[in-house]
Amino acid sequence: MAELGAACIRFALLIAVAGLGAAIHAGLARRADWTRVAERSVLVVSVFVLIAIASLFVAFGTGDFRISYVAAHSARSMAMPYRLAALWGGQAGSLLLWLFMLCAYSAACVFANRQQNRSLMGWVSAVLLANMIFFLVLLTFVTDPFETLPPERTMSDGAGLNPLLQHPVMMIHPLMLYTGLVGFAIPFAFAFAALLSGELGSTWFQTTRRWTLFPWLFLSIGIMLGGRWAYEVLGWGGYWAWDPVENASFMPWLPATAYLHSVMIQEKRDMLKTWNLLLIGLTYTLCLFGTFLTRSGIVQSVHAFAQTPIFTSVFLGYVLVTAGAFLAALLARRGTLRSPQRLESVMSREAGFLLNNWVFIAILVVVFTGTLFPVFSEALGERTALGPKYFQMLSGPLALILLFLTGVGPLIAWRRATAASLRRQFVGPALVGALTAVILVVAMRSQLTPYALGAWSLGAFVTATIAQEYWRAIRSRMRRGESAVQALFTLWRKSQQRYGGYIVHLGAVLVLMGATGSVLNEEKLENVKPGAEIHMGNVRLGYLTANALPAQHYGGAVARLALYRDDQPLAVMAPQKRMYWLEQQPASIPAVYSTMREDIYVILTAIEHDGSATFKVYRNPLVNWIWIGGAVFVFGTLLVMWPHPPRSPARRA
Amino acid sequence: MSKGVQVAGGATLVALLLAWYALANLESGASFAYYQSLAEFQAAETVASGRPVRVHGYVANGSIDRDVAAREVRFTVQNTPPHAGGPPGPSLDVIFASLETPDLFKDGAEVVLEGRLRGGEQTAFLADKVLAKCPSKFEGQGQAAADGGTRS
Repeated sequence: MAELGAACIRFALLIAVAGLGAAIHAGLARRADWTRVAERSVLVVSVFVLIAIASLFVAFGTGDFRISYVAAHSARSMAMPYRLAALWGGQAGSLLLWLFMLCAYSAACVFANRQQNRSLMGWVSAVLLANMIFFLVLLTFVTDPFETLPPERTMSDGAGLNPLLQHPVMMIHPLMLYTGLVGFAIPFAFAFAALLSGELGSTWFQTTRRWTLFPWLFLSIGIMLGGRWAYEVLGWGGYWAWDPVENASFMPWLPATAYLHSVMIQEKRDMLKTWNLLLIGLTYTLCLFGTFLTRSGIVQSVHAFAQTPIFTSVFLGYVLVTAGAFLAALLARRGTLRSPQRLESVMSREAGFLLNNWVFIAILVVVFTGTLFPVFSEALGERTALGPKYFQMLSGPLALILLFLTGVGPLIAWRRATAASLRRQFVGPALVGALTAVILVVAMRSQLTPYALGAWSLGAFVTATIAQEYWRAIRSRMRRGESAVQALFTLWRKSQQRYGGYIVHLGAVLVLMGATGSVLNEEKLENVKPGAEIHMGNVRLGYLTANALPAQHYGGAVARLALYRDDQPLAVMAPQKRMYWLEQQPASIPAVYSTMREDIYVILTAIEHDGSATFKVYRNPLVNWIWIGGAVFVFGTLLVMWPHPPRSPARRA
Repeated sequence: MSKGVQVAGGATLVALLLAWYALANLESGASFAYYQSLAEFQAAETVASGRPVRVHGYVANGSIDRDVAAREVRFTVQNTPPHAGGPPGPSLDVIFASLETPDLFKDGAEVVLEGRLRGGEQTAFLADKVLAKCPSKFEGQGQAAADGGTRS
């Protein structure tokens, strides 16, 4: 398997280089035949990469520990799904997964565009092949996943995978994230191809919008699953810690989301072409940069790992060359990108969307600066890190502005809003928001922070705007004889972008509401003997027993606690403390009692020698709304993306 | 004045307000977390000032004492990993006033301590936070996991 995989990667590299030559020729000479050649090389490279990744999967499945990567990331004792998922447990394998995803997207793109965008496809293939070449070079010369150990160092079993990664969510989270990150290569390739060919008409960006929505959805899912994993596995009571690894996945999401909004201005008003191209370039650059960040370890130097200078310089060079080439092409074409349209009024949807873009970019600047602060500060002298406080302090107010715009943007008129239209759209929702604020102040008083007050009343405002939009549209359809449900489905079909978009917004509002719940979080560390109780407001936890944990791969203890709310028995909670034998790594598995109102989250911190146990208990209000909001968000995005067949057969022709 | 300039002006105003808000709050230094090696920390003149710092070191073998009654954990850190052999170099006694040690906290673990030095007769480092790092070979996401225990 090692030989087959390695050979495929090397063949693929040769073909990709030849294909790149064909693609550039096709682009420069505008030759349809050479475009076909380039597209075929994309497909052939994809097949070879498919064989390569399949052979690595087989190596993991059969336990081929001659391959050092397999030996370092799996063991015979691991369950088969985790043995296969171990493929993306380390650097070389995850780069191979990156490449494979890129090939899958590229092949799908070539297939989908066999009849359309023909004049662009030569350059599109060139951009995609150039990206493949980089990863192929990396996998051939820098970090080879198929490298074998000399016979005397080959062992009969592997070292196992970090047990924290042996979790169902961890099997799909990286796949989702990569499906998201890598997918932005396609809009990037189209934008780049449009710049290179000078065909900056309207077709490329319609194609691009569709190809952006898909990875954007998966990136969103991936980010949320990452939070879910952290919450269930890392045992610190939270889901997002502004860790560089998390930020790396969040950063490309910001310009991508900005783009999905501003592209509507381009669609409707033919404005902001340069800006949209910039956002696409920025998104893809950040995808590459994020992969670089998590795979090179330049930021987490307290926990520096596997940092190879050659990897760092090669990858950073690639990111810079990609961004630089795109920017150069953009500058060269800036004359043809000028829009004849001008912004007419500050009170307009264009201005609202523009402001929304600015806020997304501002959040990006905050996150980028904070994530790379250790690097910047080291260059200036003392190496310094910024904590979660920095991120919260700056992103909080920005998120509030964004929330406000979420309510205003979609409702305000294009070009110039009149006073009457503003009254018609916003009086009701503004009243709902104000009323919510009053209720919150009266009901919660001291517990309420200004941030929570802002977030929840703005959330109510936005929800009211969405409800009002749906209500007006459905009512007008019902007057024409449709039932309410019928009307709803008609809206989702006929104006999917608009009414699906509202659902996406609703999901985002719910996520933000849930995250704001953290201002009411309570936590308590308590040491108790069996029979004793931990009290937390109207909730109490009676510590019953602790038992040894019988399992094959790990040992440890499981404690049992009886959970009561207002003397009402609710559940028996069983947090665990594990020690994975092979990996010599401990792990705390929290027990969570989850309701719409709050989560009770218990961690067994330690069993002490005197027979007592130390527990950390969290009450996390509203946390569940984050996951619910996430599901709503995904549903809304699917509504927007859903391919509806053309209504009349005549339109097909 | 064109509308574009108006929007840009408004956005810049918002950005300036935020920057001011951030600087005003960051000046207290609360969000800045420095770290230095134990040797650097001990060589620095600010040691006695009681200024909050982050210090990096390794837990000395057999030094961990969990005092459940006092609800604290006492241990010693040294400048070099104990399993590396050789002289342990300078060391520092640490008092962590909590029983909530991270999962990876054990003999020989690489730790970053957040807290300040208590001078006087019984010199000790009073840690508010203990971050532990897995000393093993795991790459990638395992690192994020390694911090998990004490993040708040």
